[in-house]
Amino acid sequence: MSALHLAWRTVRRYRAQTLLAIAGVAVIGALLFDMLLLSRGLLLSFADLLERAGYDVRIVGGGGMTLRMPIPDSAAIAGTLRGLPEIEKVALVRILPARIAARSGASAPSVALIGVSGAASGVWTIVSGVDLDRAPGEPCPVIVGRSLAAALGVAPGDEVRINAEPAGVRSAMPPIACRIAGIGRFAFGGAGDDTVATTLEALHRASGEDRPGDADLILAASRSDAGSGAAVAAIQRARPGLAVYSNDEVIEQFNRNGFAYFRQISLVLSSLTMVFAFLLVATLLTVSVNQRLGEIAALRAIGIGRRRVAAMLLWESALLVGVGGLLALPLGELLALELDRILRQMPGLPEQLHFFVFEPRALAVHAAVLVVTAVAAAAYPMWVASRLPIAATLRREVVG
Amino acid sequence: MDIVRANDVSRMFPMPAGPVAALRRVSLAIGAGEHVAITGPSGCGKSTLLHLVGGVDAPTDGSIVFEGRDLASLSEPGRARLRLTRIGFVFQRFFLLPMLTAAENIELPQAEAGVAAAARRSRTRELLAYVGLTERADHLPSQLSGGEMQRAAIARALANRPALLLADEPTGELDEATSETIADLFDRVNADGTAILVVTHNPSLASRASRRLAMRSGRLVT
Repeated sequence: MSALHLAWRTVRRYRAQTLLAIAGVAVIGALLFDMLLLSRGLLLSFADLLERAGYDVRIVGGGGMTLRMPIPDSAAIAGTLRGLPEIEKVALVRILPARIAARSGASAPSVALIGVSGAASGVWTIVSGVDLDRAPGEPCPVIVGRSLAAALGVAPGDEVRINAEPAGVRSAMPPIACRIAGIGRFAFGGAGDDTVATTLEALHRASGEDRPGDADLILAASRSDAGSGAAVAAIQRARPGLAVYSNDEVIEQFNRNGFAYFRQISLVLSSLTMVFAFLLVATLLTVSVNQRLGEIAALRAIGIGRRRVAAMLLWESALLVGVGGLLALPLGELLALELDRILRQMPGLPEQLHFFVFEPRALAVHAAVLVVTAVAAAAYPMWVASRLPIAATLRREVVG
Repeated sequence: MDIVRANDVSRMFPMPAGPVAALRRVSLAIGAGEHVAITGPSGCGKSTLLHLVGGVDAPTDGSIVFEGRDLASLSEPGRARLRLTRIGFVFQRFFLLPMLTAAENIELPQAEAGVAAAARRSRTRELLAYVGLTERADHLPSQLSGGEMQRAAIARALANRPALLLADEPTGELDEATSETIADLFDRVNADGTAILVVTHNPSLASRASRRLAMRSGRLVT
């Protein structure tokens, strides 16, 4: 007849109180769990997007990661990078605003035109049709974003006309005719984002740029036996002065700057939820102990040790918080799905970016916080029970 | 040989208007197999003396010696162990654990004393039969009558074969007929060798004792 057995029988006996405590902890625990998912969700989701692109090193021009400027002499840099033993593949990326029109007359006046050289698998996912590299002989193959394709009423094989319009330049270039190779979903594109991808050569033709080598971004993939750190070091040795970042460094930058806001909010809210759980369970246990003072005094009088009585109360707290904490997980997951859906409706967010992302660490922290809550909530009732003056309590119970 | 001896014990309770003496220099010895009853009006100090003898309270002055050991020299766990193994308590309000069955309530002190599960079950069956509750073994206290609850409480008190049974108004919550049943049970317990100290207002219960003492204003008067 262990302390756990006594606690289990007690929580079963006082059912209304038990259900109230478990329901309260489940709701509070769900909020806590969601705060933990939110605290690193964007970061994990962003890291996942970067990883899925298939490149682990990024080279940018002046302005760093946030204010991108063209990288002078990009083609030559790419050639140097391809010669490095630490690098497996290199892609140049150029992004310009553009206009696109379908043969039907439907048009979109402002789209993001992405020109990519080399293998760029991962930046987008083909939904229908084929990728750019599977349209040989086509002078201007394009991948059109799903929402844009739907708005223009176009499908793979259809012809569209594109005018590239470099920022700050009033272009008099005539539109170029392109053929849709595929419909795609862009990793960094929003749900309503109008994005079109083509080859770097086609983009240069469309824009009429006289320095076709200037990409906005150079992506490189390290060889698996070298790793991104070695690749970054090799690039910096080969071309000193370039702004080179591994994915880990990009994520760390965003962690420090862009996502600190979410971490702080979630820390404050999760601390508050923990306090609520503590107050709820501590109050219910204290009330319960006060209702059972005579019982507890009698137990101690017949020789049941303080330790067993305290352990029984600790187990009661652990059972209430534990069962509530377990129920909090599916409840929190459902709530996170709904909150994520609402937050992802914000305009301009990449479609595949999530705010609430599960990781085992969140589960471990959730469990640790609940253990601390259970112990803290039981502390005062345990103290009351173990310090109870036996004779005085028995006398009061009889007189009362 | 005395099981317990109270030597000149006093118990003062601090109150806002000044300390109140619940016991004044009381001495009492209870020998093995004795059956002692203490009577007296409410507030005369009967229960206080019982609590001191049982080691759940400490005297302000004087000493309580149980089987040769001064209770003041024992730590709280030591006193708890003594109460668990050598003293049985029976209360006016029974104080059975409401979430445990009658059998489980009787098993609890044995489990605390470290008695093996098989031996516990055997002893519990024996005690249930002894107090006539075999058929009610698996009933919760809420499913028992007052008399049945007190019989279960007496069985619990006897679980670890104590040398002394302390009973504080054991018939205080019971009707006359049920009180007689409990008194009969105390007689049987005493006849089987357990010393009993009972404090009571019930003259019939007190009359069963081999030694009757009366208290007035914190003093033993007979």
